[in-house]
Amino acid sequence: MIKTIKLKDAVGMKLAHDITEIRPGEFKGAAFRKGHTVCNEDLCRLQKLGKNHLYLIDLEADEIHENEAAAIMAEALAGNGVVWKNEPREGKIGLKADRDGLLMVNVSALAAFNMVEEVMCATLHNHTMVKAGELVAATRAIPLVMKRAPIERAAAIAGQNGGVVSVRPLRKGKAGLIITGNEVYHGLIEDRFAPILIRKLTDLGSEADRISFAPDDTEIIRQAICTHIERGCDLILLSGGMSVDPDDVTRKGIRLAGADEIHYGAAALPGAMFLVAYIGKVPLIGVPACGLHHRTTVLDLVLPRILAGEKIGKKELAFLGHGGLCQDCPECTYPHCAFGKGN
Amino acid sequence: MQDFDTLLKNSAEAHGHLCPGQVVGVRMAMLGCRLIDLDEPTSHKQIKKLIVYVEMDRCTGDAVAYVTGVKLGRRSLKFMDYGIMAATFVNLETNNAFRVISTEEARDLAPVYAPEIPEKYPQQLEAYKRMPDSVLFRVQKVRVDMSEYDMPGPTRKKVSCSRCGQMVRDNREVLQNGHILCKPCAQGVYFSEAEEITWPNMNWTPVQKEQQLFDATKALRHEGK
Repeated sequence: MIKTIKLKDAVGMKLAHDITEIRPGEFKGAAFRKGHTVCNEDLCRLQKLGKNHLYLIDLEADEIHENEAAAIMAEALAGNGVVWKNEPREGKIGLKADRDGLLMVNVSALAAFNMVEEVMCATLHNHTMVKAGELVAATRAIPLVMKRAPIERAAAIAGQNGGVVSVRPLRKGKAGLIITGNEVYHGLIEDRFAPILIRKLTDLGSEADRISFAPDDTEIIRQAICTHIERGCDLILLSGGMSVDPDDVTRKGIRLAGADEIHYGAAALPGAMFLVAYIGKVPLIGVPACGLHHRTTVLDLVLPRILAGEKIGKKELAFLGHGGLCQDCPECTYPHCAFGKGN
Repeated sequence: MQDFDTLLKNSAEAHGHLCPGQVVGVRMAMLGCRLIDLDEPTSHKQIKKLIVYVEMDRCTGDAVAYVTGVKLGRRSLKFMDYGIMAATFVNLETNNAFRVISTEEARDLAPVYAPEIPEKYPQQLEAYKRMPDSVLFRVQKVRVDMSEYDMPGPTRKKVSCSRCGQMVRDNREVLQNGHILCKPCAQGVYFSEAEEITWPNMNWTPVQKEQQLFDATKALRHEGK
């Protein structure tokens, strides 16, 4: 139960919640913390903050204070690789990554959680690369005091399948690169693909263990794939030959190598002719030629997910569609743009 | 209790079609039974322990009745005409009762839980299978004080309406100015212009033998003329 009392009668009482001060462009935070005992000196500042009345809280058995609610919800929302401190500020608790990795957001559980009355949680986008210590989500209860049951139901929703937000570490991939194309193989032009792929791999903490070049010949491509896998590569990247020309035979080479699952085509631009296949547990990624021209392509969306252990199939490639259109800005600001953020 | 898929298949067959309401109803009944500790509600041992109050006459209601085995005629199914997607499950042995309410937000969340399905009803059907109970339902622990006249078992009271003479069972009569009345006489009825009639083939019975013999003899007599 909440009672309202006049400010002048509040001297000696403890504040029921943090009182926020906002100085535009300068400061936003708690001017007074919950539990602070109001004294005569505070009255003037409180009035300047627009407070002429304060709340006195007397919780009923089935009621809960916003700070306790935030802690219950934070505990349920936080999955593996996410930590939080029970130090609510203005009723909010932040959830932080406790390791580098890929943020995974259970989007349906998050939506269901936020549909419960009087609670909220906001997160970064699903599949965002995050660093240890980075804020990935924040939660709070909306009112100062509320019934306990809805909070516990919201927590149950958040806790399904290991929490709403988790951070998956990226494995250190040992990648085998296969640069296909007669023009490069026969030395007509210089390869520019390998350095790009190597940089993308090393940026994610993986390494290009082996590089081989293959002409537009299915058998040679097949052999190159098999050799890389035999020699311990746990990730294969193939560039070129992914298009629809008669010389584009990389897909056939992948099939001949024994891929039991091939997904060709992704709902992203650049990168529509992207391919993901699997030989046993080894993922094979077919990077179309757009990877040469655009700084950011579908590869940047999918590679971290594969290294985080996610199985990429038809559904995952199809769901890239919403937000999968690169705006091709003169200066690429990815990941600080909308590309790949819609799923 | 059978598994969800079997219950849904059989419930949909009994109901006449498979629809999102069936999914919600089967799950509502499974949750309700779990809350009142009945794992085999249709078994001989448990069937008399259960009363279910259904608050809607929609597909969901049929599924709840199918899974729990409650029936209007057994007095184990109570229909409360609230138009609310909810049902209350009462264990007569323990007196525990829980009201399970289907959440409105589940409808809005269907596209989030089954985004790959574009059509509304197939999407809801699949999404309602995927959602956890916590998203699909809210639950209230409630107390249900049942009158002895609402309990299963033999008729406990019969009286005649002082106006129309109709027999009224189970305390459903109304006392008005010292007169015992049936509800139609006391409160009005859902129909109008009632007029007693005769109808063709009035003497039909499921056991036709004697009537047929009588009719055949009568026909022969006519021919003899």
